[in-house]
Amino acid sequence: MVRWQRGLWLFFLPSFGLLALVLLWPLGYAIYLSFFDYYLGSGERTFVGLANYADLLTEARLWNSMWTTILIAFGSVGVEFVVGFALALALYRLNRSAKVFSVLLFLPHIVTPVVAALFLKWMLASNWGFVDATLLTFNIEPPDWLGSPVWAKVSVILADAWVFTPLIMMVLYAALQGLDTSLIEAAQIDGAGSWSTLRHVIVPALIPAIIFVISIRLMDVFRFFDLIYVLTGGGPGTATETITIYTYQLGFRMLEVGKASALGVITLIVVAALLLTINRGLNKAYRGGDQ
Amino acid sequence: MAPLTIQQATKSFGGLQVLHGIDIDMNDGEFVVLVGPSGCGKSTLLRLIAGLEDITTGEIRIDGKGVSRLHPKDRDIAMVFQSYALYPHMTVAENMGFSLRMRGESAEVQRRKVEDAANILDLGPLLDRYPRQLSGGQRQRVAMGRAIVRDPKVFLFDEPLSNLDAKLRVQMRSEIRSLHKALKTTIVYVTHDQIEAMTMADKIVVMRGGHVEQIGSPMTLYDAPANVFVAGFIGSPAMNLLTGRIGADGRSFELAGGGTIRFDAPLGAAAGREVILGIRPEDVTLAEDGSPATIKLIEPTGADLHVNLDVSGTEVTAVFHERLSIEEGQAVALAVPAERVHLFDPETEARIAGD
Repeated sequence: MVRWQRGLWLFFLPSFGLLALVLLWPLGYAIYLSFFDYYLGSGERTFVGLANYADLLTEARLWNSMWTTILIAFGSVGVEFVVGFALALALYRLNRSAKVFSVLLFLPHIVTPVVAALFLKWMLASNWGFVDATLLTFNIEPPDWLGSPVWAKVSVILADAWVFTPLIMMVLYAALQGLDTSLIEAAQIDGAGSWSTLRHVIVPALIPAIIFVISIRLMDVFRFFDLIYVLTGGGPGTATETITIYTYQLGFRMLEVGKASALGVITLIVVAALLLTINRGLNKAYRGGDQ
Repeated sequence: MAPLTIQQATKSFGGLQVLHGIDIDMNDGEFVVLVGPSGCGKSTLLRLIAGLEDITTGEIRIDGKGVSRLHPKDRDIAMVFQSYALYPHMTVAENMGFSLRMRGESAEVQRRKVEDAANILDLGPLLDRYPRQLSGGQRQRVAMGRAIVRDPKVFLFDEPLSNLDAKLRVQMRSEIRSLHKALKTTIVYVTHDQIEAMTMADKIVVMRGGHVEQIGSPMTLYDAPANVFVAGFIGSPAMNLLTGRIGADGRSFELAGGGTIRFDAPLGAAAGREVILGIRPEDVTLAEDGSPATIKLIEPTGADLHVNLDVSGTEVTAVFHERLSIEEGQAVALAVPAERVHLFDPETEARIAGD
């Protein structure tokens, strides 16, 4: 009765082929390589089973980069979310003319991350950079923004926030636009103050958008590379070395492709587990587990 | 339960004035319907009463106390929104109890009051459901339950039935009516549907362009509309409004488009005077000695027969409750009792007194 549907898989082929080529094949190949001891250029691959994984998981450098990644990820997404949501709420209340500023706020996001990082690097350069020069005119001794282990982390977090807060602001602002205003009015009549309205009405209504934007940003920030690579290169020492920076070092500096692949797979598993947990947690908190 | 007074209320958005000096007195426990075409300011007026918009000038008093500058929550009102505005992530019980929770009532008091309201509205079995699991009519009832729980001085309804299908609308109409009988709380109800206004109201306020056109009981508005607008707005099908002049004998009406309608008694306006003559479709009868007309169109609704008559080029709508053996194109004679005729001044559009 639906004979014509049998041929439909032909339409599915091109997109599936493309997907397989650019997504599934590299993923599969990375998983495959992760079971080998393989130096780039040596041409010789030795099957080592799970040895790469065992090596990595017992290595202090991996755990160090993992914690750095988690700190930077949650730090920057936290800052971005709080500031972005506050800006979105402010924008929601503002009149039309003030909305011009939203475009200005979006500017850092339009700039390519590498360019933004170069710009920030000049801003943060010791003594003669814009930030230091400004602080010094007020006789404030500036910290070593990119040279001290603690301030390097802070700088990286703020740099990421500078670039990506506008994205969160725009997504949440768009979600606020779709909010039924009578919900807020009903809450006002029900006696909810600004804070209660935000907590009990606005945030729950925005949960899908919040989950979306936090997930996207966390996924992104776990792959966080360009800004750090340009700003600190993972230093000082390994103070800002995230998993991706470490993977890059393993693969392209030490040429240990097998081990780098194994690290890639570990990252994938960690990010997937993390996102699932966050998604479940947020859904549960605000929908009583009722999907 | 409280009287509500609106004195000289105006509202402007920027330079645009949308309400022009509204005066309304609502008695304790009265069911007042604000009705008018869209854009007439009825919803804005309701939002002024609720405190969702700031009044520009004038005063609103609930139970004698000026509330114009108070926050919505301090006005002791409850509102049912057109979209129901149920919190989607809360159960029916949580939705209904939200205002009590915000007021800091104990869990025990919340539970008891929610259950009481649920009993009144037959919502008991639905208390643990989420709004998205409810039908339109059930959501409507939850929205009312949320209002009842607060035990306010005044209920405000903003076009609450417009999202329901026709059958449910009729059912909810009588439910709201009987709820009002039971609670005896003052209700201000906004609608654009004149049938809703007629069937539910103790008092109707007809609005147009930010002005009150007439305030009165449903039958007052029907029997003695103050002007052409109210005459045309109240009643369905709408009143026939015919332009022309009173005939020389004072008992006939010369239509502007030609032709004459004769009446059984003097019309109550000077012979030769230009007037707008209003005839309700249901006042038209067919009589052998009436004025000549042709049947243009017959629309049977089942209960009634809607007939479009052509009187020398002017169209007159008639409604007959009895089944008539007539057909389109047939020549008939129409008659209207003179005491059922409404006369309006063509300049001011106001009702001509003394008829």
